[in-house]
Amino acid sequence: MIDLDTTNKSLWQDVSPEGDLLFCYSCSTCIVGCPASHADPPLLIRNLVRSVVLGLEDELLDNDTPWTCVTCSRCEEMCPMGVEPFEVVLALRRWQCRNDETRIPMASAEIYKRGYTQPVDKAEEVRATVGLTAQLPTINLFPELHQQFKDMLMQIDVIKNANYMFED
Amino acid sequence: MAYGFFLGCNMPALRPDVERAIRLTMPALGIELQDMDGYVCCPAFGTFPSLDEEAHLAVSAWNLSIGEQKGVDILVECGSCYSSLRSGKRLLDRHEDRRIRANELLAKTGRSYQGKVTPKHISDVLLNEVGLPAIRAAVKKPLEGLRAVVQYPCHTLYPHKTVGFEERSVRPHGLADLVEALGATVEHFSLEYQCCGGAGGFHGASKAEANQFAKSKLDAILAETKADFIVVSCITCLMHLDNVQKELSRDGASYAVPVFDYNQILALCMGFPVKEVASICTVSRDPVVDRIR
Repeated sequence: MIDLDTTNKSLWQDVSPEGDLLFCYSCSTCIVGCPASHADPPLLIRNLVRSVVLGLEDELLDNDTPWTCVTCSRCEEMCPMGVEPFEVVLALRRWQCRNDETRIPMASAEIYKRGYTQPVDKAEEVRATVGLTAQLPTINLFPELHQQFKDMLMQIDVIKNANYMFED
Repeated sequence: MAYGFFLGCNMPALRPDVERAIRLTMPALGIELQDMDGYVCCPAFGTFPSLDEEAHLAVSAWNLSIGEQKGVDILVECGSCYSSLRSGKRLLDRHEDRRIRANELLAKTGRSYQGKVTPKHISDVLLNEVGLPAIRAAVKKPLEGLRAVVQYPCHTLYPHKTVGFEERSVRPHGLADLVEALGATVEHFSLEYQCCGGAGGFHGASKAEANQFAKSKLDAILAETKADFIVVSCITCLMHLDNVQKELSRDGASYAVPVFDYNQILALCMGFPVKEVASICTVSRDPVVDRIR
């Protein structure tokens, strides 16, 4: 049983200070059209929004469902109250990362190290089979530029504080 | 008109035949493509946008500034890259404080973002700049007698205020118009506007359910249409709808509807060689390719 008198009622200010989510009237339009509402466990954006408003911090910290979102933004288009549910999903992911660095997406470290989430600079063979022989101007060809890119990102607290994940 | 060609990650690494098709067809239709030296991941929504907004917008501004330096807008095929770049631009353009912060972060790199560059989806450029008459005129081998269905990339529809280029996001018709310009008949079906389900964390976190979601769409195509192939205009839709059919073809089931990116089928109609523009696939494209003469 959760005692709602003791939950963190200002949680929304920490998660999504724009406050658009306060206008949610629980119609569930965001769920009906959501591909990831078919997932197991389902992504139920309305419930996440309610949980933020009610201040259910512990439940939200442990909730993996924001990460199953397909990022299609259909919820954002259809929401009648301008809650911007997809923005809430991203905001919840960021809030989880700020409170638990094991949530930091490894793919962001990949981009930091290599510039891309796929081995764009190591695909010469398959590229040659379709007649693409010119070298791609990927960031690894410009070491100075790549260092500038890394330095840019290292100015940001959440990255600086978890720098062991980003540096080799 | 010249564009910076934003390749993203999946197309150049995993489906370079799509890149080849774009590099062959677009210049032939009067669209010059320029490389974007030192571009990085868009950033994909599951990366920096899920970690920190300042990092997200710094990376967006990094990529946008490359186009700005060259004095060209940016052409994108991948739906996720397109949506990420557009949402980054919208946030930077509408919030001075965020733009100032992104430029502070960029300052040491000698770059800056002023808001002068616009990322455009390739369907938008084909529809609204090249235009259907020019596409019709470029077709040497029309898709006569062939039937298609189309998959609209969600990231080019929602939210309309950020990414839209058709009149409205509900029941769009641009991709169907583009396919009909090649001589094919486009059939319509009940789940036409349902997402492919391939982006983000759905397929990774909940594979059986994500496959079932794609299956519902493929079943509707098979039950309600006589489609010979599916046309998409997004690298994620392409890879997912193609690859998932192999995963679904177990226990006696058989799914084998060929999937093409629009520029691949356009390239075949313009007479470019199939080996270069449409050779990488899971479901064989031969039944369609053999009928394009």
